[in-house]
Formats: sequence, C-alpha cells, structure tokens
Amino acid sequence: MSTAPQAGGGWPRILTSLTLALLLEQLPWSGWALVVRPDFVLVGVLFWVLHQPARIGFGTAFFVGLLADFQYGAVFGQHAIAYVIGVYMVLFVRLRLLQFDPLRQAAQLFPILFAVQLIVLLVGWLAVKPPTGLTILLPVLSNTVLWLLIAGWLRLWHGKGSQDRA
Amino acid sequence: MATSGQLMFARRLGPPARLLIWLAIGVSCLVVDVRYHALDGVRNGFSALLLPVREMMRTPLDVAAELGGFFTRHRLLQNERDTLLAERARLAVGVNAAHELGRENAELRALLKLQTRPGQQLVHAALLYQGHDWFAQRITLDQGSGAGLRSGLPVVDASGLVGQVSRVDAGSSEVTLVSSPEQLTPVFVERTGQRGLAAGSGRDQLELRYMPIHADIRPGDRLLTSGIDRVYPAGVPVARVSRVSRSQSSPYLRVEGVPLAGLDRSHAVLVLVAVPPPVQPTPPQATPTKATPP
Repeated sequence: MSTAPQAGGGWPRILTSLTLALLLEQLPWSGWALVVRPDFVLVGVLFWVLHQPARIGFGTAFFVGLLADFQYGAVFGQHAIAYVIGVYMVLFVRLRLLQFDPLRQAAQLFPILFAVQLIVLLVGWLAVKPPTGLTILLPVLSNTVLWLLIAGWLRLWHGKGSQDRA
Repeated sequence: MATSGQLMFARRLGPPARLLIWLAIGVSCLVVDVRYHALDGVRNGFSALLLPVREMMRTPLDVAAELGGFFTRHRLLQNERDTLLAERARLAVGVNAAHELGRENAELRALLKLQTRPGQQLVHAALLYQGHDWFAQRITLDQGSGAGLRSGLPVVDASGLVGQVSRVDAGSSEVTLVSSPEQLTPVFVERTGQRGLAAGSGRDQLELRYMPIHADIRPGDRLLTSGIDRVYPAGVPVARVSRVSRSQSSPYLRVEGVPLAGLDRSHAVLVLVAVPPPVQPTPPQATPTKATPP
C-alpha cells in the first residue's frame, strides 16, 4: 500500500472522474488521435474498481460498456461483457496490484487491458459474423478423452501407483 | 447475536458468481439485439442522452475553427472568392445543359413508356463522431429520422460516394463507409462501361471483385456507381483504381482502388433522399443492404 491512495474516493470524486472520462470520449476524435486514443472510461472504471471495489463494480462496468457499445455502433453487450470480465480480472489480482508502484501496476494492467480488447473482438466476432457451427469445438472433448486414455494407459503400463517424480 | 430478520452470516456474492450473473445478462443482451433487434429503444435513449453532450463537446473545436477562420488573410479570401465565382460560371453552363438533357430524357422515357427515375432531395449533414469498431468503418452524422433519413440511403460528399446510412436514430444516424469490410457497391468502369462489384476491404481501400482476367482496366480508371441496385443513383464517383495485379491461383484480376470521397476528412456530407422511395428490396435483400448485418 505504498503509493496507492486508498482513501480519497468519495462518491463526488468517483462520479466526477467517470463523467470527465465519458466527456473526453465524446470529443470528435479523428485520424491518428482516434487510433491511439485511450479508452478513458474503461481505465476510469478499472481504477475505481481497484481502489473502491465496494462502490464501483460489475454494474457500473456493464452500464458503461453498454454506453461504449452505443458509441462505437457495436452490438449491445460487446463492450459490456468485455468490461465486466476486465473488472473480474482486476478484482482477482486486486490485493497484489495495491502493493505495487505505478510502473509495475501499469505493467500488470497491460495484460488485463489486452485481454479486454481481445474479448471485445471475440464477442463481436461471435455476434456479427457467427461461425457456421460450433462443431469446431468438439475436438476439445475428444482431446480430453484422448488425454484420459493415454494417461490411464501409461499408468497401467508402468504399474499401479507409479508417479512421475521428476 | 443476530436479531430476527437479520442474517447472521450475510455476505455478498463472491466475484465469480457476480461475474457469471453479469455475463448471463450480457449474453442475453447480445442475443436480444442480434436476433430480435429489440434494443433499438435503448439505442434511441442513449442517443437522446448523448447527443447534447456530443454537440457540447464539439464546441471547443468549432470555436477553434472559427477563430482560425477569423484571422485568415483578406487576400486569401478574395482569391478563394474569385476561383469560386469562376467555377460557378463554369458549372452554370453544365447545369443548363443537364436541365436540357433531363427534360429530353424525361420526354424520351415518356415516349418509350419507361419508369421514371426517382427524384432526389438532398439533406445536409455534418460529421458528428467517428467510431472505431473492429468490424466496420462507420461515422455518425448529426441528422436523423427527423430530417427524413432512412437506413439504406446513399451518402455523398463533394468528391464521391461516402457510404450508406445503416442505422437511424431520432437525431443522429450511422453511416457505413464504402471502404468498410464487406460493404458492397455496384459500380462500372467509367472508361469502358464494364460493370463490377466493389467491396470494401477496410484500411481505406476498395477491391473490385470478379473482374475477368482479360478485362480492360488500368490504374487510374474511375469507378462510378452503376445504379443497377436502385439504391445508389447512377454515376456517383466511388473510387480510382490504384493497382491491378494478376494472381496465379485466381481466375479473376485483383483490382484495388482508393475511395474518392474524403471518408474521414470531409466534415459536411449530403444524404440523397429519393422521392418517391425506391422499390424496397424483397427479403433476400439487394446486395448493398445486406452488407452490414446489424
């Protein structure tokens, strides 16, 4: 808890910062600025989830995600789902994140933000261009069964109870 | 001790449970929106909510542009006015000829008992917001159903076709750009008259599909809308061919083009509203309208 200001999160401050983030996104961005523009609202929500998890959580993230869906003209739920998963991931590593200095915090948030963007892509892909069938997932089952067979067979082959102790 | 009515071990659901609940809500949102298109009300609500905010956030840039414009040099303005006047004189001649041709065309059509072409009405609109989406290139305009816009209408700027209106709210509308992936536009090559189908390929580029390998097409050729789908009027410039190449594996030429309209640069565009409305495509839809499944 070296750098993280745990206090300082009253409702007014939270609402002001989120509103500011929302306003920033409404600026008419274009060109390169649009390409590199950070997702202010997502960063804001994740920040408050980290510092005020009792106040800002899944519900806020979901609503804000719906707003983003509207804004980007995407399918409703695309960003909402991704933001909610982002909130979960932050909550998952929250106690660890709070220990870090800003540089390491940012480094730890990178994979989370990356995952959020990938989920936006995945959900959009499933919703906008649905695959012809989900049969492509069936090999997952058969792979598991194959694993079971191989592992079981090896265990039988080497005798009962033999374990790898490498 | 716990009094009656108060749970002794009351605690909130853990994050995984809450995540699952919200995921379920999100997936149902997706299904309701994609399958049943039932969330247009929510979209309209957000639109009404955000529109004033967007208008407001546009003011700083507008003010900056105003100030910049205020301090331009007098000489510059005069020069610009002179070129505009000259251009207007030139255009007036063309317009007279076009009127004459239009009258003649109408008479001939009447003689031949052909269907008259739908007339057009222009709606001016300004670029409100440029979205970025993984799957489509869209811009938001500041005119909506209030100004008579419907989804499916073509949008042009001074130099060419910008795209097609794909979603309309009360006070704003979304336009799918010509270069958006899988946005199809029926075109013809201006020089030879050969018809083809231009498909957006993202990255501000178009691709002319299914051109036979011996087709006469060169870099520099202009592609105009053919009007064959009755969605776009005929003769609107769409793109200029930038590269023609031949691949060993495909029986077709690979033709790439650059859109002529300033897709993300032009801030004022025109929406062409056809009066009377053209024939609505039957459920297996015409090509350009199916290009963006909602």
